[in-house]
Amino acid sequence: MTTATRDIILPAEWRDFWALTKPRVMSLVVFTALCGLLAAPGHIHPVIGFTAILCLAVGAGACGALNQYFEADIDAKMARTSGRPLPAGRMNRQSALHFGIALAAFAVGIMGVAVNWLSAGLLAFSIFFYAIVYTIWLKPNTPQNIVIGGAAGAFPPMIGWAAVTGDVTLLPVILFAIIFLWTPPHFWALALFMKTDYGAAGIPMLPNVKGQKVTRNQIFGYSFPMAATAMLPFALAETGWVYGLAAIVLNIVFLALAFRVWRNDATDAAAMKPEKQLFAFSILYLFLLFALFALDRMLIL
Amino acid sequence: MTAREEPAYTVEQTQIIRKRQAARARVMGVALVGLCILFFLITIVKVGGAN
Repeated sequence: MTTATRDIILPAEWRDFWALTKPRVMSLVVFTALCGLLAAPGHIHPVIGFTAILCLAVGAGACGALNQYFEADIDAKMARTSGRPLPAGRMNRQSALHFGIALAAFAVGIMGVAVNWLSAGLLAFSIFFYAIVYTIWLKPNTPQNIVIGGAAGAFPPMIGWAAVTGDVTLLPVILFAIIFLWTPPHFWALALFMKTDYGAAGIPMLPNVKGQKVTRNQIFGYSFPMAATAMLPFALAETGWVYGLAAIVLNIVFLALAFRVWRNDATDAAAMKPEKQLFAFSILYLFLLFALFALDRMLIL
Repeated sequence: MTAREEPAYTVEQTQIIRKRQAARARVMGVALVGLCILFFLITIVKVGGAN
């Protein structure tokens, strides 16, 4: 940590607390949770539905704050994260910890009282899994960190579903599996062209530990079960052709980009255009897949 | 309030602190009003059995 971090004298701005919640990550969480909520059978009062999504967003914000509390020293070593409130010295660590715990308690408590305790329990577990299991245990210790840790990001659509139905059936488990299997190719594409940054921070990402060839093999390998799982809702007749066709097209593009990554043997980040394209498309892939899934389910329900 | 020990801030720093405190208080105020409305609506829904 820098001297500026220790000698902080001014109170943090509210914008720094907002930045602590990782708003961009939160938007993906809110979106997938909303899709799970809209796709679930049954009815939820709009006020209760809004409360469920708000609690999920606040829970995601808690994860971001706790993650940045635990990783302030690592963030300071990476160019991508060194401008965050803690490594930049705009906030003290205790404030981040208290903020994260308060958000988590609020999100789980309100979810339980206003929505149902199954979704509150799932939300509590996902916060614990991300902040403790992933951030403290997996991330600094194993190159499989984002594979197992991906489970934390896969919970939101299941929680959205549980908020409506009060139970968890096969379809929300499939939604969970899609995000779980999507996470490795998505993150490893980023890890390939950010290898130097992760290496400087001492995080054992797969490209740093096993090399770029193994990582590219894994990216291509994971893309197939991901694509197959994305087809399951249609194959099980849980959706119509709108989702079915979209999933086919999106899977073809994803696999084609993953194939280009697999064929690429560049070691310099500047020559990793296929990896950057796959990373960018993977975000679009998940957004479109879930949006069309929710749309299709709303049409047939 | 005045009995509290505080580091000696410059006039500029004090102005920045006051400005930040005011901004944070405004955001907290908006959040609390929003929560009051939300809790009121949740109560109406729960009492009415609309869920």
